[in-house]
Amino acid sequence: MEPPVVTLTECSKRFGDRLALRKATLTVAPGETIVLLGPNGAGKSTLLRLVAGLLRPTAGSARIAGVDATSAPRSLRAGIAYAGHRSQLYRGLTARENLELHAGLHGQRDLDVTALLNHVGLGDRADEYIDGFSRGMLQRLALARATAHQPALLLLDEPASGLDADGRLLLDATLRAGLGTRTQLVASHDDELPARLGARAVHLSAGSLA
Amino acid sequence: MRSLGRLSTTIPLVLSTILIPLTVALAFWWTPEDFDQGLSQKIFYFHVPIALTSYVAFAFGAFSAAMYLWKRTEVWDLRSYVGVHSGTIWGTLVLLTGPIWAKASWGVWWNWGDRQINVFLILFLYYCAYFMLRFSLDEGERRRSASAVFALLGVGLIPLSFLAVRIAQTLIHPVVFTSDGAAMPNSFLLTFVVGFAGMLSLMVLLISTEMRGKRTAARVLQLQRVARGEDA
Amino acid sequence: MIPAALAIARVKFVLELRRREVIFAMLLFIAATIVIVHFALSGDTGAGSRAAAGMLWAAVVFTAVLGLLRTFAAEQEEGALDALLLAPIDRAAIWIGAALAQFGFLVVVEVVAVPVWWVLFFQAGGPSIGTVVVALLLANVGIALVGTLAAALALGARTRDVLLPVLVLPLVIPIVLAGVTATYGAFGEEVGGFRPLGFLALYDLVFAALAWGTSEHLLGD
Repeated sequence: MEPPVVTLTECSKRFGDRLALRKATLTVAPGETIVLLGPNGAGKSTLLRLVAGLLRPTAGSARIAGVDATSAPRSLRAGIAYAGHRSQLYRGLTARENLELHAGLHGQRDLDVTALLNHVGLGDRADEYIDGFSRGMLQRLALARATAHQPALLLLDEPASGLDADGRLLLDATLRAGLGTRTQLVASHDDELPARLGARAVHLSAGSLA
Repeated sequence: MRSLGRLSTTIPLVLSTILIPLTVALAFWWTPEDFDQGLSQKIFYFHVPIALTSYVAFAFGAFSAAMYLWKRTEVWDLRSYVGVHSGTIWGTLVLLTGPIWAKASWGVWWNWGDRQINVFLILFLYYCAYFMLRFSLDEGERRRSASAVFALLGVGLIPLSFLAVRIAQTLIHPVVFTSDGAAMPNSFLLTFVVGFAGMLSLMVLLISTEMRGKRTAARVLQLQRVARGEDA
Repeated sequence: MIPAALAIARVKFVLELRRREVIFAMLLFIAATIVIVHFALSGDTGAGSRAAAGMLWAAVVFTAVLGLLRTFAAEQEEGALDALLLAPIDRAAIWIGAALAQFGFLVVVEVVAVPVWWVLFFQAGGPSIGTVVVALLLANVGIALVGTLAAALALGARTRDVLLPVLVLPLVIPIVLAGVTATYGAFGEEVGGFRPLGFLALYDLVFAALAWGTSEHLLGD
């Protein structure tokens, strides 16, 4: 799948009485990588969840390849990956089973799960329940899950939290490998990440894009 | 738009002010006393129209819920809520007038063999749950969708409850209408129709009044947000 | 769609085998409910067969609600629901998979509970077991469909655990009415033969259709 264009138009999201995102307008060109920077509670996660179609905008629109994100058809969803604050894995399954489930739902019969686990440095823990995994290990596994199906649009929400130095190198390498070939939106607290990747930085504060 | 809004309350206001007293007059001074049940049968002209009207309100609520899921505009969510709300208030009246009639005709306050009233009891529980669901979700898209989906389930539950109660019970409500047509004199039928029209106008009046209130409240909230500089 | 629903149901069975969170609780609960209802009625018709038929249905419905409280628990722990929503599968598959698992849990519970119920209350002169089994299976489908739907609706609610029984119970009253009638009928009483069973099948179809039509709106905000 070709990397899609992402467009937010005057997109607002309200939770109860709190305005989490305020009239955000943003275009991410196909294949472009954008790093979202901003303090906690600035609206980065809300923005990413709106793009993923997991939230419905209160006003305005969030579109992927011209289609409303909440009603993205299956063919479009097949190319989207989103990794958020939580790992989106099943605690009672092993690392391998989690990836196998994910591959199954994405119709990837021939995914080499062992290779993928080795790649993210979890080869020797593949058959353990993820119950006992540390934050960083879960983050690695979440990254493996998010990239397993070769998404054309990758949405990562603070993917570096809990990662050790090796993990961060792995994350940077993953993002670098996607430069130009997929559309990437990464929320981060790492002010140097845009420069390291050569990516555009977008600042959010109190729900508004700077 | 403004004048239309006014008409939607004025017309039902006029109609219900005329028709409901007219029903009382017709019921007590015009229709002959029922052969079987005597004076107590007069409650029929109120109890049954109220019950039918509350079904109309529930249907309006379900229709608006479907419209909300289709159009995603807040006003359909409000309409759906107001429909269910009014239907539930009238359902309470049904559950109050039903036992009065039951006491007069069967000598008991509650007749578990009476189909209609037991269906109403199920629906009443169900629609009360609607309010619990709605008010334990935060205001927003999620609340609106969840309320709409739950209100739509009533479309299945109402006929299924009728069927289930019919299958499970053998005792029957006193049948006034039969499948051969209305088994009652014309004066009964006319009074009933006037009563039904009166209750319907009152329901329309309640719904449009509550809708005006809700829309005003929504507008006030919006203006407050603009005043706070949130402009959305 | 069906493979995805099966995959999701399979995960729930695997987790249940490993963690044993739901089924044992349901078994103890159904036993306690039957015993309580029996003692509560024993001054009156507690020994009667009709009361025994009724208490089975009351117990099944309440036990089902207990199981439903955990329907999406595994998906909520680490936010796995997001991954399911974004997977290229029909969103109805998520709800159908969860309903399949609930159906399976109910069947397992009934396989143990119904024979015990039978032995405790009848031994001889009970209802014809075939009818009761068919009625229970049809009822399980309906309870699982409606219950999973309600669980999905209650997901974002502050008071989810209190809310769910309130949502589910009114919706399953028709199931109890038809189930009890079918069970009376299975004693050989004259209550309309297959009509209650037909009704249960109709109930399943109607709510399957309604849930199918609204499944896009069930999950996520």
